[in-house]
Amino acid sequence: MGAGGPSVAPDPVNQPMIRHWAAAFEDANPVYTDPDAAAASRFGEIVAPPTMLQTWTMATPRITGLRERGGAPTEVSGESPLSVLDDAGFTGTLASNSEFEIERYVRLGEVLTAETAMESISEEKSTRLGAGHFVTWVSTYRDEAGEVVGRQRFRVLKFRPAAS
Amino acid sequence: MSALPSTLDWYRVAVGDELTPMVVDVTASVVVAGALATRDFMPVHHDRDFANAQGAPDIFMNILSTNAYCTRFLTDWAGPDAMLRRLSVRLGVPVMPGSTLTFSGAVTGTGTDGDDGLVEIAFRATNDLGDHVTGTAELGIPLARSRAS
Repeated sequence: MGAGGPSVAPDPVNQPMIRHWAAAFEDANPVYTDPDAAAASRFGEIVAPPTMLQTWTMATPRITGLRERGGAPTEVSGESPLSVLDDAGFTGTLASNSEFEIERYVRLGEVLTAETAMESISEEKSTRLGAGHFVTWVSTYRDEAGEVVGRQRFRVLKFRPAAS
Repeated sequence: MSALPSTLDWYRVAVGDELTPMVVDVTASVVVAGALATRDFMPVHHDRDFANAQGAPDIFMNILSTNAYCTRFLTDWAGPDAMLRRLSVRLGVPVMPGSTLTFSGAVTGTGTDGDDGLVEIAFRATNDLGDHVTGTAELGIPLARSRAS
């Protein structure tokens, strides 16, 4: 997340990642993995699980130095409000809310983008984990033609870990 | 595997209908497999030492996994022709290895939108610590594939 343009999914919507997802969650819905059953469904072909929208556009991780970066799985740009909070010691992150609106399920081969807009940052609150700020943003997911396939409002608590 | 399993008949869905409960026995493997399948490398979901430093007793399930299980719970009940149109969740207590997550829910409303019959659902998933997630969802079921009686 940052200012700047939309993030582009590093890979098109693809069967291996969908299969991995379906196996991890033991989700046997055949529209994700069975071409014949999917063809007979309303979708007409294989589709991705709807909340995978958030997964396709996740940044490619940088595993080395994860701990030294305070647990940030990617290099953090200096412009993100989250990195400002990290720098101020609010290094803990805990998701609290997610609200998906799905316009349509996406198909194999589609390349998605996510555009993220900050919505709000709360006053400092005291929580059982430590002092923190609730940060809310809205991501808009689009296909290659620019059509919106889904939206997601996401809220996290950025907190100062009590142990540190 | 080629036939499409049956989907709920929208005309037979009524407010108050309960969804088929779903139970997930959560192990460290479940937490880590979910984090990897959703490409979420936040270390609190795979590194216990890191989780401890953040004040958590163990690694815990990520919200993308919670969304994935909510989706499975809803479509296992409604069938493969149901489309998830909206999923709104609020997280409560964490899900850590060794706990059992039990999903339950009920229909709170029905309606139509064009060719789709809509079903609104309120649900929750609990473990021994309390409510892990409470949420609402809206499914669309093609009216043409349901049978008016």
